Formats: sequence, structure tokens, C-alpha cells
Amino acid sequence: MQTIFYIILVPMVYLSVAVFALGTLVRIIKIFKGPRHPTTLQIYPEKKAKWLGALYDTFFFPTVRKHKPVLWVFLILFHAGLILLFIGHLELIWDLSLFQIIPHEPFLGKGFVGLTLAVSLLFFLFRRFSSPVRELSVPEDYYLLILLFLIVLFGSQMDWARRWYEYGELSLEDYRDYFMSLMTFRPELPYNATFSGHSFMLILHVFLANLFLIFFPFSQSMHAFLSLPINKLRRG
Amino acid sequence: MDQKTRNELLKLFKSKLNEAMRLYLETCTRCGVCTEACHVYASTGQVKHIAAYRSEIIRRLYKKYFKIRGKLWPSLSESKELTDVALEELFEAAYSCTGCRRCMVYCPFGIDTQMLMSIAKLLLIGANTEPEILTLLADTSVEKGKSIDLFKEGFLQGIKNLEKEVVKKWKAEAGDSVIPVDVMGADILYVALAGAHSIIPAAAIFNAAGENWTLSFFEAVNFGAFVGDPTKTKLILDRIINEALRLKVKEVCICECGTAFRVMKQLSGKQPFKVSSITEVHARYFKEGRIKIDPGKFNTAITYHDPCQLARNAGVMDEPRYILSQMTKDFRDMTPDPTYNWCCGGGGGLVALGDETIDFRMKSARVKADQVKKTEARILATACENCHSQLSDLNDHYKMNVEVKFLSSMIADALVSE
Repeated sequence: MQTIFYIILVPMVYLSVAVFALGTLVRIIKIFKGPRHPTTLQIYPEKKAKWLGALYDTFFFPTVRKHKPVLWVFLILFHAGLILLFIGHLELIWDLSLFQIIPHEPFLGKGFVGLTLAVSLLFFLFRRFSSPVRELSVPEDYYLLILLFLIVLFGSQMDWARRWYEYGELSLEDYRDYFMSLMTFRPELPYNATFSGHSFMLILHVFLANLFLIFFPFSQSMHAFLSLPINKLRRG
Repeated sequence: MDQKTRNELLKLFKSKLNEAMRLYLETCTRCGVCTEACHVYASTGQVKHIAAYRSEIIRRLYKKYFKIRGKLWPSLSESKELTDVALEELFEAAYSCTGCRRCMVYCPFGIDTQMLMSIAKLLLIGANTEPEILTLLADTSVEKGKSIDLFKEGFLQGIKNLEKEVVKKWKAEAGDSVIPVDVMGADILYVALAGAHSIIPAAAIFNAAGENWTLSFFEAVNFGAFVGDPTKTKLILDRIINEALRLKVKEVCICECGTAFRVMKQLSGKQPFKVSSITEVHARYFKEGRIKIDPGKFNTAITYHDPCQLARNAGVMDEPRYILSQMTKDFRDMTPDPTYNWCCGGGGGLVALGDETIDFRMKSARVKADQVKKTEARILATACENCHSQLSDLNDHYKMNVEVKFLSSMIADALVSE
């Protein structure tokens, strides 16, 4: 069993990051090496600040706010939460003073960011069970949402355990040691990472996150990179 | 479908895969925000008419033949084989979409369904299953471009016969040609449709404005664009470009035809002449004081239908409103934002298909009829031939109780000398 844990926590992490980086790069190159469309694809009336407009469309989803305000609330919460969790993972590697303007221990949000993300993902999932989004959805949409939900759930559970019910066997230092060892290519697993009571949370979280990273370049998650250029087309 | 045909069709598919098309094919998250955008869905409630559903028909083929995951794990994204049944699906998707691009205003990414439907239309052409009449009309236009001398005399005689009608609206100065043709160095080359209604009012207004203009030998409508054939679209377009270059005109003015204007404006490339819609030219005449009208001519409430290809897709929005503000004190806009105007339901070649599509056109444009009725206007003005035909049919079908009029005809009817 320890061998499997090691494979998940070390070589699979490297593999999935490599697939993510390479796959994303190849896909982006493939899209942008194609010829440009000969005509404008914009929608009128024409606005002057095209790039600024495209950035606004990309990060604030104004069309969703206008037409599906409830979905918009969850989308904003979800995407803002993703950014906070990304920062939280960075803080597991380095002490970033920039984010310590509000003094906190990683992660920001005292566990509520993960909870908000989990609830948002359930909302996205359940709305796919009702018409007409059901008819538009394909299996990939469900798999991806379930996968993300489980990643968030197991990841947050580790945070909640420390903060909410004082189960601190896996300490921040353990996570830090593990992360740093991966970053410096001297992989080392702290004892608690594979033997403590909550180690299965870490292993499942990492395993599912690995799957997500591998799946990422082949899924519609690529909209994270494609949203800006595609919105720019509409802005002209 | 045999493998050879499939391979040929896939080659056509591949030819459409430029940067924008790949972005449109790869970014949809099927969030369903576009659901209420399509007038066909809004009028019928059928899921197959949601923009994302239409696009997914193309996307499933794309995944099957151009993406690794579609080959390795087809059920993941329900990638689909290109078969005769798939072609039927493509036909239904492509020819129930009018290309109005209203869905782009809803989509968080701005995915262009009209672009994606252009793949479907090209595959249908490749399989010889496109609407035959559109190809025939496109071929006729192309042929006309090749052999102008064969029809020149008949055309000139036909034009001569219209002059009396033009003079009824605006008396020409002695010695002036009422409908000038083939004028070298004219300021404006006017490209009309094949019909007196597209030439007479325009000629009267040009003459009233004292314009140095000339009428094109060719009709503006581009059936190549309707049927989705890029080669024929270009050939039909080139006839007008070549004529404009030959006559050394300063401006090409496209008649009231949304698609013709958009194709000319956006596809003609960098040229020594500018491209304008006739509505823009008329607004200019008003602003420059070159034409005058009797403001009491239409003493009733007027509304305006924005042709999608002219407004949302080419930016001519303020000019028709400016013109109408000169013509009535009771202008009633359909929507506070023309970007959201409903399509009339006749674009994308549907009106050109005539009775074949009338039932669908009426059912799918109920929301348009409701929108018009809500204004309680008595005149419904528009600046597109397709829209005019479709709105007239809707007027009869839904008893909208309006008079559907071309904007240019209204101006021509109201012209006064002082």
C-alpha cells in the first residue's frame, strides 16, 4: 500500500504536472497557429477599449450577470474561490508576505473558501440535471464537476480538520515539507503524510488533483486560457 | 455514406479550421446561458434550437475526427460519426439558424454560432444536400459576372423603363440622367437588388441630393453567403469590386440588404473606395441638408426593425434612428438596446427558400411579432429586403396591423424640394 501511496504522491504528481503543462501548451499552439479569420467577428455597437472590454468579459462574466444572475453569483464565488485556493497552495510552499496584509495561516478564509467552492460545484452539478442544460450536457461535464467536487471536498477536509475540529495530526509543516521536497526535486514523504489518520484525505486529494491536471488540456477547463482571446474576437 | 465521401467532407471541415473556428469549437462549457437567446427556441421551446445544442452537433464531429479524446474515449463527449443521419442533423441545425448572432450577446465567451453553422453548410454543399435553389441562384450570379455583355442590353432597357417612376418621385434636372449607368469617376456606385423597388426610391433620393452616382450592373445579394459557399461568395463579391475599380468610384453604396452589406463591408478587404450602406448615405444627406422631406408625411407611430446583419453584425444602428427622428415625432424603439433586437426569422437564406420554409419561419418568429405588436406602431420600417419579406409575412400571419415599409421608400415618398 505504501508503494501505491508513494506513486500517487510523487511520480504521478510529476507526470500530471508535465501532462498539464505540455498538453496545454500544445493545444494553445495548435489553436493559434491556424490562420486568422479574414473578417471581423465583433458584435456592435463598437466599443473603444477592446482589450479592456475583453478582460472585463473574461473576469466578470457580464452577460451571465445579465441573463442568469443566480448562476453568476455562484460563478463569481467559484472562480474567486479558485484564486484564493491557488494562493493558499502557494503559501504552502513559500511565506508570501504580500498575502499577509490580513494576517492568517494558510489557507485564507478559515475554511469557508473550500466550503463555498464545494457548494458552488454542487450547484453547477445539479443544474445540469434539469432541462434544458441537461440536454446540452455531455458526460465530460458531469465527470469534471464530480472530480472537482471531490478534490475540493478532500482538500478542504484537511483544512476543516485542523480548524474546525482540532484534528491536527497532519500539520501545516508536514504539508510544507512534502510540497517543498517536490518543488526541489528531492521528494520526501513526511511520516504523517502516509501514516496519520488523515493521510488518506491527502492521498485522495492529490490523486484526484493529478487526474484533473492530466484531464485539463483535453477538457473544456481550457476555457481558463481561451476565454480572453475568444472574448477579444467579440470585442473586435 | 462511403469512406471516400466522408474523407472528402472531412477535408472541407478541416478547411474551415482557422484560429477563430478552433476557439469557438473548443471553448463552450455548455452552461446554457445562450438558451433564451435564439428566437427559434424562444418561439417554439424546442431544445434543438438552443445555440449550444446546434453548435454541439458540429462539435461532436470535430471531436470524433480532429481530437484525440474523441477517438480514444468517444462517449466522454459523445463524439459522433459523420453519416447520412448526421448530415440530416446538420441540415436541420444550419437551416433553422438565421445567423443573427444574438446568441453571441448572451454567451460568456462570445461563441459565434453562425460561424459554426458555416461548417455545416459547407459539408452539406460537399454532400450535394444543400438547398438546391440557393446554389442555383448563386451560380446564376456567378455566371452573370462572367458574361456581362450577354445581359447588358436587356438590363439597360429595363432601367430605361423605370425612369418614369423615378421622375414621379423626384423631377430630374434637364439633361441629367435619371438612372445613370457605367459612369466613370462617379462618387457613388449604387448596388441594388434585382427589383424596381430597390432602384426607384434610391435613384430619386440620389437625384434629390444632387449625387454624382451610377448604378451597378450587378445585384447586391450574395447567395453564395446564404448557401455558405466561400468560393462563390468571393466570386459574387468580386464582380462588384471589379466594377467599382473599373469605374474608379469613391464609394460603394449597398442597397437595403443586410447580408450584401456585411459581405461587402467585411470581406472586400482594403480597397481604394469606401463601403457604405444606403441607410448611412441617407443619414448623411439629412445631416448635410442635401435632402428635405415633408415631416408630416407619415403622421403616425413608427417603429424600426434592426436587420441583424446591418445592426448587431455591422454597426448600422444610429443612422436609421436619426433618419426616423426626421420623419416622425412618434418613433417607438422595440428594445432599449438594438444589440438585443430579435431576428425577423428570415435570414440565413430562409426567405430565399420561399414557401418551403414559410411554416417554420412563421412559427419560429412569434417573439418578433410580439415585439412589434408591443410598440403599437402603425408603420414598421426596416432596411433589409429579407427582413421586409419576412416581416410582411409575419404581418399577415400574426395580424400585426402594421404597414411594413422600406426606410428608403419612406424617404423617397416624403421628398420635397424646399
